[in-house]
Amino acid sequence: MNKKLEVKNLKISFKTMNGKVQAVRDISFDLYEGDTLAIVGESGSGKSVTSKAILGILAGNSIIEGGEIIYDGKNLLNIPEDEFHKIRGDKIAMIFQDPLSSLNPIMRIGRQLTEAMLLKGKARQRESRITFNNHLRLLKENMFEAIAKDDESKKANITLKCNNFDKFEYKHLALEGSFNKAFESCENAILDIENIAFKLEKKAADDLSYTLRKIKKEALQSIHTYVVDSRKDELVNLVATISSGAKDVKKNKENFKPLVDSLNGIKDILVEAKNYDKPNFFSMGYYLTFSKEPLPNMPVVELNKFLRTYLDDNFMLDFINDAKLGLINSASKALEYKKEFVSKFDYYKEEFLKENLVKEETDKLLKEIKELVNNSIDRLETIKDSIAYTMSQSLKADIDQYYSAISKNKKEQARFNGQTIKYEKMVKGGRTPEWKVAPLSLIDLVYLQETIVDQIERLKDHYVELISKFDSRDFDSESISTIDFLKENASGVVNKITPQMARNKAITLMEEVGISEPRRRYYQYPFEFSGGMRQRIVIAIALAANPDILICDEPTTALDVTIQAQILELINKLKAQRKLAIIFITHDLGVVANMADRIAVMYAGKIVEYGTSEDIFYDPRHPYTWALLSSMPDLDTNDKLEAIPGTPPNMIYPPKGDAFAERNKYALKIDFELEPPMFEISETHSAATWLLHENAPKIKPPKIVTERIERMKKVNAEYLKKSSEKGEK
Amino acid sequence: MENLENNDVLLKVEHLSQFFKMGRMELKAVNDVSFDIKKGEVFGLVGESGCGKTTTGRSIIKLYDITSGNVYFKGTRICAGIRSYKDSIKKKKLETKIKIQELNKNKPEGYKEEIAKLNEELHKHISEQREEIKKANFDEKNCNNEYRDEQIKLVEEKYLPLLERDENNKELKKEYENELRKAKNSKLVTQIQMIFQDPIASLDPRMTVKEIIAEGLIIQGEKNKQIIEEKVFKMLELVGLVREHASRYPHEFSGGQRQRIGVARSIIMQPELIIADEPVSALDVSIQAQVINLLNDLRHSLGLSILFIAHDLSVVKYFSDRIGVMYYGNMVELAPSDELFLNPLHPYTRSLLSAIPLPDPAYEKRRQRITYNPLKEHDYSVDKPSLREIKPGHFVHCNEKEFQEYLKIIK
Repeated sequence: MNKKLEVKNLKISFKTMNGKVQAVRDISFDLYEGDTLAIVGESGSGKSVTSKAILGILAGNSIIEGGEIIYDGKNLLNIPEDEFHKIRGDKIAMIFQDPLSSLNPIMRIGRQLTEAMLLKGKARQRESRITFNNHLRLLKENMFEAIAKDDESKKANITLKCNNFDKFEYKHLALEGSFNKAFESCENAILDIENIAFKLEKKAADDLSYTLRKIKKEALQSIHTYVVDSRKDELVNLVATISSGAKDVKKNKENFKPLVDSLNGIKDILVEAKNYDKPNFFSMGYYLTFSKEPLPNMPVVELNKFLRTYLDDNFMLDFINDAKLGLINSASKALEYKKEFVSKFDYYKEEFLKENLVKEETDKLLKEIKELVNNSIDRLETIKDSIAYTMSQSLKADIDQYYSAISKNKKEQARFNGQTIKYEKMVKGGRTPEWKVAPLSLIDLVYLQETIVDQIERLKDHYVELISKFDSRDFDSESISTIDFLKENASGVVNKITPQMARNKAITLMEEVGISEPRRRYYQYPFEFSGGMRQRIVIAIALAANPDILICDEPTTALDVTIQAQILELINKLKAQRKLAIIFITHDLGVVANMADRIAVMYAGKIVEYGTSEDIFYDPRHPYTWALLSSMPDLDTNDKLEAIPGTPPNMIYPPKGDAFAERNKYALKIDFELEPPMFEISETHSAATWLLHENAPKIKPPKIVTERIERMKKVNAEYLKKSSEKGEK
Repeated sequence: MENLENNDVLLKVEHLSQFFKMGRMELKAVNDVSFDIKKGEVFGLVGESGCGKTTTGRSIIKLYDITSGNVYFKGTRICAGIRSYKDSIKKKKLETKIKIQELNKNKPEGYKEEIAKLNEELHKHISEQREEIKKANFDEKNCNNEYRDEQIKLVEEKYLPLLERDENNKELKKEYENELRKAKNSKLVTQIQMIFQDPIASLDPRMTVKEIIAEGLIIQGEKNKQIIEEKVFKMLELVGLVREHASRYPHEFSGGQRQRIGVARSIIMQPELIIADEPVSALDVSIQAQVINLLNDLRHSLGLSILFIAHDLSVVKYFSDRIGVMYYGNMVELAPSDELFLNPLHPYTRSLLSAIPLPDPAYEKRRQRITYNPLKEHDYSVDKPSLREIKPGHFVHCNEKEFQEYLKIIK
């Protein structure tokens, strides 16, 4: 699985009138492609703050005290706002908790839905053009180095190849675009016909004329060389009969038979057309651009074979081979620098751990490291090496922190000395002063130095691993994926979004999230929607931009069960379709069981238990998780619920030791003294509670939880038995 | 006024309908819903948002004037709608008109007498229905009178003999006057109280907790500050808050505590029935448990009956004795809660039950949600559905054909 997002040691606090509220205290987690991470906890535990930090929309009084959020080779905590604009909403989208405040009250729903699509469409076009050009240029340069060196004729040959690739790629996209349009309208027409035929038979069709007009349009649009071709005259004739059928229905509701018949005729043709073989447009694009002869007239399967061999013989195999050499060149170049970095690690470590660092020296060293790391990055990689990309930035931040700490410590010491002298003077003078000397709080310089070294060490470990893996790398498949990457970006250039397309897309999205009569609703204002409907609009807006990462901040808390189930299913479906990575924030554990692959239970700004959903539900270890589980009733609960007594602690003064100790009836003495570390239970499961220490007393979870787990296991075992029996039969 | 056979029935809702005007159209928010709540019982009302659960609750407490139907509380009709009578007059008029037209056309023997007879019938029907309308309007306005008189009588019975014995006792006289004023102000409807969904929006931010809780008492005519204070403190302690909280403002409390204030406000009037309109859906899981436990304790200690409106089915199952399932203004199934979850019959109930998320990942992965499409499920073109009793206490909204099918399933 690809790692999409990495949060490391994140610490966030808020400046308030009464003091500094520590909202998030040192949390780390990873997020993978096609994977859902659920963050569970009470309100005020820092769930929403974490998600807002990822999206870069923290409130103005927030202070980021440390940590990193790494996405696509960038540290989201210190990139400029301009750059964040490209990520926010486009790559990382969020479904907000309160649908009321996340919609603009004076804009029609339709405008709000399409606004982002239209804006992002333009930006994305520009962006993919730039990426495509840059990547192709880099590839070309590397090919020069690997193959041509000083041979001008070879160089010219490679340049020609690259230009050709660029050229026919465009042709291919135009072909595929027109095909997709026809295919899509064919599919839509089939769906619409099924719908309206059903409604006609039940006599419940209300917007008949609109739907029929739509079906007509769609059916005619689906006429295309590779969609409906052989039976196109028949289709046109059938479409013509629709109008008269509709008139009959208008006159007499019972007389729907002819209309349904002609609709079914259209449907048969379209269904047949849908199952045709799809030609290979990529190779067809090449053929049409460079071959002087017209397309040979043969069935699609043979045509595909012919075009494929034509492309491979004339261009592709050669190009892939060259690309592979270019990739190897670039990778091995980077490898040398990596090796150099690893060999120099001990020297750096020594330098940074010296007592009393000197600014000029460290600046010089930093510059050197920066250059080395920059060189050691293989720019042709399609998946960016996040650690290497963000390394120099975070290193600089750490070093800056060290120097600022030196000056701060000086000031603190001066303040302390001054106050003590004054205090002692007053005491000597026989007065008892009403104030006390605030204790000395110096920043630990050695610790800061260690964090600097940690940064470098992390990269070193990463590089050592990469170097050891280098020999087993499969450059054949890598070169193919590089070309796929180029193809994908090129398609981004051609995919222009017009307002009409955006509207259609918005209406299908509205239908997808379960809004009835989307065409009428499209022109309404948010106040005309009920709470559940508004939430669906918010979800549709978040999905409109087709993001990489979706953050759901209690998306279904205000909705009722059926709609909740629909929306969760929708999110799950989209996750599977689009390989979304999802962060799901909620306090409802029932919802989480359905959604999450992994669960992080948060309390007072810390992750107290972390594991797969099976771990958390069948084998919970932290008392807070027990409390959460036992405070929610399920369908078999009859006993009194065990509510968690008290309220979460005031995070201006975070409690000493375990933050949950005061509300925890299983608390040990040590819980009030010392903060528990994360104890690892299994590879995927860990929890921060002293109960897991080897010297701790063995305490069982509350009855309500153990009973439920046993019951669930029994039911599941029975189900497995039954299904296996069925399988045998 | 009618006497109810079962004295245990506290609230009886008969054919309650609530329509809202929307321009030319009419929104049937609640359409012909009937149920009753027994003393000390928790009745759960579930359904998706917009199905009319909240409207039902609000109609019962007279926040809306109901369109038709009757609501009886402790045997007294507190709400009465007149739409059904008007409709019946209209229908009768139309029927007679058609019949007369037919008679005029065909002119059979003695048709003039027939017409006169029909007209007489019509007039009789109209006057009957108008009488009913008058009665309903009277009840609607004066439902509190009987209760008030009763209260006044009770006070007089208690104090008058005491006063006769001791005529010069000023304190006693003062107390008597105070009680009498309260009794004159008393309303039967105050015996029904409501807890609202949103604890933030339902508390006035400019009033202290004490003022919020005491407001009902003051409106009722209680002027003795000491008594008010005492009662407020008692209520605060009852709901798990402390005396010191009385002088604070709502924004200083957490969500669960705010909902507790809402509960205290409603129980200070010593109600017999509480309408809890989604009291826990806006709260965190842990706080939800606190509020549910609180309501459960109060229910047992004060002998309250509760109409519990919610959409979280696991909470409703845990908390209620009987459950009514609503769908687009209709009550589609009504049964004791265990029975409902064991034998859900109506397809909507089944789809609702299949949507409940449970804290069991393996179960969740194989859970199949049933979708409910009324067009596909039912064919009501010929036989119209109604609420029928399938098993003692288990009602389903169905027509004759479906009724037979359900009977088979239950056997």
